[in-house]
Amino acid sequence: MNWKRNGFKIGAFIWLVGLRVVFAGPGEDFKSANQLYDTGKFTEAAAVYERIEPKTAHVYYNLGNAHFREGKLGSAILDYERARRLAPRDPDILANLKFAEQRLGVDDVNAPPRAWQKLLRSVIESRTSTEWEVYELLALWLTALAVGACLYIPRLRTGLLAIAAVAFVGFAVSVFALGREVLNDRTTPAAVVVTAETDARFAPVPDSTTHFKLTEGTRVVIREDRGQWLFVERADGQQGWVKSDTIERITPHS
Amino acid sequence: MRLWLVIGLLFATTSAFADVSVVASVDRNHIAFGESVTMTISVQGTQSGAQPSIPRVDGLSFEGPSTQSSFSLNNGQMSQSISFVYQATPARTGEFTIPAIAVNVGGRSYSTEPIRLVVEKSTVQNDSNQALFAQIRVLSKQLYLGQTEPVQVVLFSRSDVPLKGVGGFNCEADGLGFKFLQNLKTGARVINGESFNLQVIEGSISPSLTGTLNLGPCVLKAQLAVRKQGRSGWPFEDSMFDQMLGRVEVREVPVTVDAVPIEVLPLPEGGRPVDFAGAIGQWNLGVTAKPTDITVGDPITVTIKVSGNGNIDTVPMPKFGPLDAFKTYDPTTKTTKDDLNTTGERVMQQVLIAKSTDVRELPEVRLAYFDPEDRAYKTAVQSPIKLVVKAGTGGRTTIVSGGGRLRPDEKLGQDIVYLKGDLGTAAPAVPFCGTATFWALNVTPVLALLGTVGWKRRTDRLRGDVAYARRTRAAKKARKLLTSATSYDEIQHALQHYLGDRLNIPVGGITANIVDEQLVPRGVNGELADRARACFEACDTARFAGGGADTSVQATRDNVERLINELETKRL
Repeated sequence: MNWKRNGFKIGAFIWLVGLRVVFAGPGEDFKSANQLYDTGKFTEAAAVYERIEPKTAHVYYNLGNAHFREGKLGSAILDYERARRLAPRDPDILANLKFAEQRLGVDDVNAPPRAWQKLLRSVIESRTSTEWEVYELLALWLTALAVGACLYIPRLRTGLLAIAAVAFVGFAVSVFALGREVLNDRTTPAAVVVTAETDARFAPVPDSTTHFKLTEGTRVVIREDRGQWLFVERADGQQGWVKSDTIERITPHS
Repeated sequence: MRLWLVIGLLFATTSAFADVSVVASVDRNHIAFGESVTMTISVQGTQSGAQPSIPRVDGLSFEGPSTQSSFSLNNGQMSQSISFVYQATPARTGEFTIPAIAVNVGGRSYSTEPIRLVVEKSTVQNDSNQALFAQIRVLSKQLYLGQTEPVQVVLFSRSDVPLKGVGGFNCEADGLGFKFLQNLKTGARVINGESFNLQVIEGSISPSLTGTLNLGPCVLKAQLAVRKQGRSGWPFEDSMFDQMLGRVEVREVPVTVDAVPIEVLPLPEGGRPVDFAGAIGQWNLGVTAKPTDITVGDPITVTIKVSGNGNIDTVPMPKFGPLDAFKTYDPTTKTTKDDLNTTGERVMQQVLIAKSTDVRELPEVRLAYFDPEDRAYKTAVQSPIKLVVKAGTGGRTTIVSGGGRLRPDEKLGQDIVYLKGDLGTAAPAVPFCGTATFWALNVTPVLALLGTVGWKRRTDRLRGDVAYARRTRAAKKARKLLTSATSYDEIQHALQHYLGDRLNIPVGGITANIVDEQLVPRGVNGELADRARACFEACDTARFAGGGADTSVQATRDNVERLINELETKRL
């Protein structure tokens, strides 16, 4: 019995020490980067933030601030977007993202043109994919439990069916949102223009006609990837080919 | 010839400038308040005078000019002139002097003589024998500085007066901030047994000076339908017949209202709250906060609504108690008010973020204002709103900036928000979606539900369908009987039970005949049917012939068990 208790204590200690070892590095880097930022060394701070792994929402947020101070507003928007994906309801991240977009004048361009699209996007982006996964599982289990209980407790049938219906709607919404997040990330990943301005062309060749111009900080989705050229679509539906080094994916390319 | 004509014209023009004279005149020097006067500046001897600049005369407004020019040649004498015609309207009674007006002609400046104008109170009110009169209605003649008070100017017209409308309205109200609505309200009233129609001009005053100020005199231009000259009798007659014949014209008659003195008091010094910021009126304060059950870092939207009577523009943002425990964002404000600014509503939304779990409530909200009706300062107070602030779960969604670090001053909308002080929580390295655990957790409830439904259906059928229940349990029951069977009688009993339950028939009368009567018609043929018959015959023989060896009982029991097993595979 004592062996079991001691074993548990030793295991817990090793686990905690392991955690400390694992997280000591990033924590120190994070502090030193913040100090560099405070002394106005934004480029150096950005470099330190860049090497911190794994990157949390706070790391991306601070990196965005450093890029903002460097004058790289497109990169700052990219970092804020990455931070927002990890912490979608953080008011600081949302405020800075909005401010950077307004500063570049792309807040209107990045917003979907129709009200229902805005609503859909705001709902889907208000939760992380992990949260949608949890909601989906909870809703599915609740639906199954309510329907199952309904078979054996007929006097509560109406209430249980109502619970099952609501839970099923929640399940459907969660599946939809999760599908959109996961599938979109895989099939049509979002990206941000990080150069001052880039031409969106009719064809993936350098001397083809420019269809429209994409300014720094504009959010696009990648429809096709041909190595050096990417076929992208802006929020208003305009499509064109851009050079791949002018934009960066919000979800880092693996 | 042409050259002489040009020289002649040049000479005429030059000589014309030499004889230029400028005269200003008015059509009447004495007018009633509410009437206008026509002022003409006539430039004789030329047609090229520059438009004169009219000097400002306090209480007198000018409209125009319209220009008229004339040219005539009589007995070799050429005469030409240009006239500038203005309409001058007084805003008060009294004596006015229109000063000398300079007119530039051909590079030379000419000047008119000053004009004296006397504006007197109109006497039309008495002439109409009270058939047409007006009144100013004010609820209170004692107001406070900055107070907004509704007023009405009402034109009464006896029912036999052919009033067509009100063509204009003018009112002296220096220092009272008088404003009125263009749209008139109408009504009717009986005074001393006579019926009157009412034209009501709604307005408001908001004094900006203290002391005794006059509201009025006011003049309303009553538009009356008047029969054209040549007809005798009461001039204010009107009939559809006269109108059709064009014998009716509309004439504007000024109706004057005497001034009403308004005493404007300064706001009292005694009892003035420290946080009083100029709100005057009767104001209600409502405060709501959503959500109140939050996690540290979650925003709380506080909506503050101020509504009531008075000038809403004087109402400042109500004061919160100490907000040190909150991170604050700039409030947004939306104001709605009526056209006269006598009632209004202001809704302010402020986003607050609790900094720690120590926060228990939103501080109280206060609005100090002066109530002119009760002549007292009051303070509307909204009690503190209870909050439940929970600690962050450590999840990625609960993020509180700072982490104990001091943050420099920030202004939202003007700069980015400062750095995060802590590293935060890392996202899982491998997405949960798509893992075996994720799919197992998805499939399990579906399978469990399908199993539950199937089990429920089976139990319900077993309970309600006797044939199904007997058929389902037939083999199990028969095997149980066979296990304990030690004689041919018991073996046959088990076989009878099996076939009776399986075919849903009474067990009592089952013999070897059942093979031909029931089993063969249901498709049990050949060797299996023979074995069934053999089982019955073996049992019958042993029972009636008397006993049998134990080994034979055992063999028969095994045969019956095999028979049951094989019959179980058949659909009967």
